[in-house]
Amino acid sequence: MKDLRLILNRVLRAAPWLMAGGAALALLVLIFGISLLGVSGWFITATGIAGLAGAGIAFDVFRPSASIRFFALGRTAARYGERVLTHEAVLHALARLRGDLLAGLSARPAREVEAMRSEAALTRITADVDALDGLVLRLLLPICAGLAAHMLAGLALWGIVGAPMALAVAAGYVPGAALALIRLGRLAPANAIRAEAATQSLRRDMIAGLRDRAALIVAGLLPARRAALLAQDRAARSAAASLDRAERDARAVLSLLPGLAAALALLTGGWMIGQGAVGPAPAAIGFFVALGLGETLLALPRGLAELGRMRDAASRVAPLLRDAAPHVPATPLKRAQTGPVLQAEKPELLLKAGDRVALTGPSGSGKTTFLWQAAGLLPPDAPILLWGTPVQQWPETDLRTRLTLVPQRAALVAGTVAENLALSGCLDRAEMERALDAVGLTEVFQARQSLETRLAEGGTGLSGGQARRLAIARAILRRPDLLLLDEPTEGLDDASAARMLSGLHRALPDAAILCAMHRHADDPVFGRIVAFNMRDW
Amino acid sequence: MSRQPSPSASAARQIEAPLRGQLARASALSVAAGLVWPLQAAAVAWAIAGWVAGDLTRTLLAAAIFLAGTMLRAVLDHIAGGILFRAGDRALADARARLIDREFAAPGPARSAAMAALVAEKLPLLLPWITRYRPAMARARVIPLVYIAIAAVIAWPAALVLAVAGPLIPVFMALIGMAAESASRRHLAEIGSLNALLMERLGALIDLRLLGAGDRARADFDARAEGLRARTMAVLRIAFLSSTVLELFAAIGVALMAVYVGFTLLGVLNFGTWGRGMGVAEGVLLLLLAPDFFQPLRDLAAAWHDRAAGLAVAAELTEAEDAPRQPMLGQGAPATPLPGRLRLRLRDAVAALPGGARLFLPDLDLDAGQSLAISGASGAGKSTLLGVVAGLVPLDVGRVEVAGQNLDAGNADAWRARLAVMPQGMHLPDLALGDWLGAGDPTAALRLAGAEGIVARLPDALRSRLGETGGGVSGGEARRLLLARAIHAGRELLIADEPTADLDRETAAHVIASLRALQAQGRTLLVASHDPALLAAMDREVRL
Repeated sequence: MKDLRLILNRVLRAAPWLMAGGAALALLVLIFGISLLGVSGWFITATGIAGLAGAGIAFDVFRPSASIRFFALGRTAARYGERVLTHEAVLHALARLRGDLLAGLSARPAREVEAMRSEAALTRITADVDALDGLVLRLLLPICAGLAAHMLAGLALWGIVGAPMALAVAAGYVPGAALALIRLGRLAPANAIRAEAATQSLRRDMIAGLRDRAALIVAGLLPARRAALLAQDRAARSAAASLDRAERDARAVLSLLPGLAAALALLTGGWMIGQGAVGPAPAAIGFFVALGLGETLLALPRGLAELGRMRDAASRVAPLLRDAAPHVPATPLKRAQTGPVLQAEKPELLLKAGDRVALTGPSGSGKTTFLWQAAGLLPPDAPILLWGTPVQQWPETDLRTRLTLVPQRAALVAGTVAENLALSGCLDRAEMERALDAVGLTEVFQARQSLETRLAEGGTGLSGGQARRLAIARAILRRPDLLLLDEPTEGLDDASAARMLSGLHRALPDAAILCAMHRHADDPVFGRIVAFNMRDW
Repeated sequence: MSRQPSPSASAARQIEAPLRGQLARASALSVAAGLVWPLQAAAVAWAIAGWVAGDLTRTLLAAAIFLAGTMLRAVLDHIAGGILFRAGDRALADARARLIDREFAAPGPARSAAMAALVAEKLPLLLPWITRYRPAMARARVIPLVYIAIAAVIAWPAALVLAVAGPLIPVFMALIGMAAESASRRHLAEIGSLNALLMERLGALIDLRLLGAGDRARADFDARAEGLRARTMAVLRIAFLSSTVLELFAAIGVALMAVYVGFTLLGVLNFGTWGRGMGVAEGVLLLLLAPDFFQPLRDLAAAWHDRAAGLAVAAELTEAEDAPRQPMLGQGAPATPLPGRLRLRLRDAVAALPGGARLFLPDLDLDAGQSLAISGASGAGKSTLLGVVAGLVPLDVGRVEVAGQNLDAGNADAWRARLAVMPQGMHLPDLALGDWLGAGDPTAALRLAGAEGIVARLPDALRSRLGETGGGVSGGEARRLLLARAIHAGRELLIADEPTADLDRETAAHVIASLRALQAQGRTLLVASHDPALLAAMDREVRL
């Protein structure tokens, strides 16, 4: 519940005035609707009495009929305003929640962030954020507005008709609603979580199966895989069926309540008239108000049915939103940074400005880990000094201006080539062209629309080698003093690799460049080759 | 109420056809529940008229009738809801099973992640449409007419108040329908793209941080999210406006009815009651009918959103079913291995690719114990050729001869029982490694593939789960595990697609040595590659 509160807090704070306005209008809609019925009921009964008494002419028709018109039009207007304001507020909140999630995650340790890159983790997190969308619209708002409407209606009935009528209506609604909603609140979460888990594993296994399809077919495992997927489908549907059953039961009980309350109001009205406590017209108000209050219950079962799913989602999303302790000190460096560009003990490495060094070693030897440590993404195992200062003492922003790492799986985003390059912070198109030329991509994009070539989601539309070179071009635009590259030539043929390496050499003449690579380490660009095998130590 | 056959409407009909009986029964129950209300209203009207006349004895009976009516309605709705859920559940089960079958037997162009999302998460959107739209439609067709008839018997102006809205109903429904459908589609798409944006940014977080672009990226994300919000709201405003018209009519209907009845009871208005005059009972009855007259229309407007979402999914389903597909030979089921000496002949073969494309293939000969490499630039069709040999890609012209027989749908499974494949992609599923490798003791296969050390390093050895992206193992290690699995299958012909791609020289050398050791054990090898070291290690090479 703590997690859910944190999310709720964020959602409500995203656009508090819109949300408050929406909530107020939601209450007005209910009040106007109930008043419309109550006043109409009173009006008809009262006019009936006046008509029978022959006092029709003396009856003041103006105020009741004006208020009936007012409530009718007011309800419509309030409804429209409520829908616009609450949706506006929720959309703000959704964008905000996703942005916060992004910011929260980016401050977390690199390993954790890296683990988020798998498709399963990404889908999981977006499904979770989606589940939280209904928190306000389908749960909080209807409950609050409904409770307020019941209390106001109770007070009004107390004043206009009398205490017994207010109590009768409350007696009709409160116990039944509490019972039905508590029961649903108990039954729904487990089933909602079960349904969601089964749906997620169906999705995950479907992806895994399709990707491994050829091997499955050759192994003769297709029917078995199909049966397994259908079993997951059955599990998901059976949980959904239990959830539907619980929701339908609650709905049935809730739909009885307006009838029960109205019947009680009718009996109470008759009794109060018999006692001489009240006339028939005010007594009728009780019945009509009891009926009108039914509207407060309509939205609740759906929201409660989703409560479990929301709680489940919040337990995963909320920790990501809480501030992670910054792992790099934010205090600026006091000492002047003068030492060699990079100095490391394991492997023994000394890089000066303008050096080009290839780091070789079999896969799994720890090259990538070393680069990540040198880039300040992971805590180092052995001292790594950058310009004479231990890497862990560098403030994040200073470090990023002087050093860039292009990881093995460099990520591109949907948009134009220029937009991808602009992530470096450089907006100069001529410089972008030069960077593309340095990595040998000019011809590739010239055939398309140069810098305006559009890439699909995640940079789809480029080959592996092209995507890698684009990421390297982006790194060149940062003009770093130290450039770390993880397998920059993977997916490139020899000619393209040689061209890219020499282009890089010319583009950043003064920078130190360290490449972890298993091919092309013998390229003339490299002054030194450092063989590396961390597992041997 | 669009009657013109659109792709989504015909897709919808296809889904609804097997459910017609259930939908009809549920609709009938739902209409019956709606018709209980006039009886309840009459009982209350009778009691309140009694109050006015000084007769309080009717109250108890009226309250009992009212409560019983409420119960009857709740029960009828509950039963109808059950029938509808079962119908929707069946439609979902059918659609899922169909799509799973089709996608595995003959994959289409959709990415596996998109297809999985359709199967797991989007298809359930069919349910709200099936469970809500039809019964709402049935109620909207019957109940308002019955109410107008009841009102007409009491006083024709009252019926007129209701009937003025009557002819306008289809107009407004179409209006609401169009606006809501487009809004819903847009809204769904916008939410989708906000999620796509989020997923992409999450995937790029490390890079953004390394580029020092964290703040820029946040600002950019906020700007794009804001754009999505503004566009979504613009559509929603229209959608809300059109349903507000319905709300307005409902509210005005109740107000007009109350005022007409009140003035008639006062004697200010005295027309329309067929000369009988109007009593309190008739007045209360008319007032109670008015709000409920509009309720079916409100339900229908609400269900229209579900319908739009359901139809969008139905259209996507149809699109997935109509997409050009790559069929395979056989079922992919376990089979007794095809008898005869292992021999592969490819003659004048032209592969049939999805959408009618064709690919000419070279003639091939491969005998038991030999190794053959297929080389060629990427995109030349190396993988297609391997697919043809494994019966995963059918031929348009020519023949594949395996173990002395023509490869066809009848013997494909039996032929594949003699093959193992090592796919190019390095996807390790979220399974225990031991289960993924297959039944039996994989030690020998792991040793041959040089993967023993990898398994030993994993925290739970063979019980470790590797996850979709091979969490915990590097690309080279994943490759060796894939090789170990192919070896462990113990089949005679090993087909390997780029087994040394993206590997460092030492690991690649290890993989090549493993392949040669396999051949020395008498297995037959067919590999596609552009790695010179691997090509040199095979007996022969065919260039595409």
